[in-house]
Amino acid sequence: MTDSQSEAGVESTNDTTLTDYATVMATTVGASSWTADHGTIRLLVDRSNWVSAVEAASASGLKFFSFLSAIDWANEVEVGEGVADDAVDERYDLFCRLSSTTSADAVHLVTSVPKDDASIATLTGLFAGAAWHERETAEMFGIDFVGNSNLTKLYLPDEFEGHPLRKSFPLLAREIKPWPGTVDVEDKPSTTNVEADAGAGE
Amino acid sequence: MSTLDQSGTVHISDASISVELETPGMTLNIGPQHPSTHGVLRLVAQVDGERVSSLEPMIGYMHRGYEKLVEVRNYAQIITLINRIDWTAGYANEVPFVVAVERLTEIEAPDRAQYIRVILTEMTRISAHLLFLSSFPLELGASTPLMYAVRDREYVLELLESVTGGRFHPNFNRVGGVKPVAGGGSTTKKQSQDLPAGFIAATNAMVKRLRGTCVTFDGLVTGNEVFLARTKGVGIITPDHVHQYGISGPNARASGVGFDVRKHEAYLPYDKFDFAIPTETDGDCFSRYAVRLAEIRESLKIIEQAVNDLPGGPLRSKVPRILKVPAGEIYVRGENPKGEMGYYIVSEGGRIPYRVKIRTASYSNLAVLPELMNGALLPDLVAILGSLDFVLGDVDR
Repeated sequence: MTDSQSEAGVESTNDTTLTDYATVMATTVGASSWTADHGTIRLLVDRSNWVSAVEAASASGLKFFSFLSAIDWANEVEVGEGVADDAVDERYDLFCRLSSTTSADAVHLVTSVPKDDASIATLTGLFAGAAWHERETAEMFGIDFVGNSNLTKLYLPDEFEGHPLRKSFPLLAREIKPWPGTVDVEDKPSTTNVEADAGAGE
Repeated sequence: MSTLDQSGTVHISDASISVELETPGMTLNIGPQHPSTHGVLRLVAQVDGERVSSLEPMIGYMHRGYEKLVEVRNYAQIITLINRIDWTAGYANEVPFVVAVERLTEIEAPDRAQYIRVILTEMTRISAHLLFLSSFPLELGASTPLMYAVRDREYVLELLESVTGGRFHPNFNRVGGVKPVAGGGSTTKKQSQDLPAGFIAATNAMVKRLRGTCVTFDGLVTGNEVFLARTKGVGIITPDHVHQYGISGPNARASGVGFDVRKHEAYLPYDKFDFAIPTETDGDCFSRYAVRLAEIRESLKIIEQAVNDLPGGPLRSKVPRILKVPAGEIYVRGENPKGEMGYYIVSEGGRIPYRVKIRTASYSNLAVLPELMNGALLPDLVAILGSLDFVLGDVDR
């Protein structure tokens, strides 16, 4: 017990420094809002400030371009589960992770892209490595990166139609055979107890 | 032979033989089926004689669409799937994902399970690096190191198999600990799989043996003149490349960027062990080889400390039979043999994730290839490709 309490104390200290860091970074990049859950800092920036926000974060020491991708927020989903409160603002969220190579500092810059005008400025001027990530995001989500000269398909065949990671894109395997997993893990009457593991080792 | 000079006079002589041959640009397709591409990678090179003027990697032949597939699977099913991303390091792929789910659900794995994760992750690293030590010199024409590396890798794989039952795809982690014992028994009563009898003694023997392997490699490869000539000063990755492309792992550390997730993030209890992060500053193919060889030695140190201080106690925390992950988002990364591997999980609550972005090391490490090949000699392509140590499954996901 003492152990877990002291650990909880350490965690809360970490949370405080993380919050401080998130506040500083939010000001640096001009973020409209931010969250810092589970050690993951998320800075929401405006689409028009996308490139300048990434540049500011990079100039503050987060020089390592980790990845860039997107998420499709949709109410009607062909695959997976819909969002919890069913009335989400239909949009793509583009996120880009920058981190430090001397400490654990890192931020995720997030911007919203409306579905009827899915385009944004490219980051290839700042990070050469963004080129592949943008190509992948373009083919998977159909987002246009203005200024990226090569947005041809990276993974899929040239004649492939559609954008597979959109929630509206059906997964063929699930069309043919509905998900058996739903049945597998369905709640059963006697499942209110938790698993007590007896594996005590040697 | 006859040649025309500028004034139009015809000369009949042998002098034309010494005139440099014009070698106009030619497109050369390498792969997708080619031994030096480590899988199905196609390279389209523009060559001028032996010199490469530009090169474009064409990837996607191994694309399996994991990010789509995980959107229709529950968290336990995903662990099986992600084993296959980087098949030279199946075990290491599982750990960041499981840790991410544990943090979202606020379930903590017991100490013993954490130590077992460290031991098996480091064994996976050694096995992946030994695969590199076998293939890299082979591609440069040295076939003997292959025999030593593959032979000694077997000792590591046997230990991995004795614990997990799998040599490449262990599927050994569960949220909250390690997997249940195979066989009968109701789910709620199942015991967790512990280390087999004699594992600690066998591991200590393996550590001793592999220290010898490292010495063998120093004698066989590190000082080899041909090897040095082919790798020193070839394919230089600068620290700027590292940041621009997101190059991680041994490839970054060979260029003087000494970042290692194990030292900076508490995804596994690495702070309990004494080990160094080997770095080199040249950034050439030789540095990348030297870093990996040194990392095997450090991993052996970690394994030795971990098996000899192995805590007792349970192997799995209490976990609900139906695992529902609360809404939230998290990114957890781990230091895989190839570099930083991470999972960005967005959960909307429930049994399946809403979106998982899988960040793999090889994808970013390979993206720098066109820059390295620009103006390089075609024979150096094999050395550069081999030294980057990517796996196409890890590139294409």
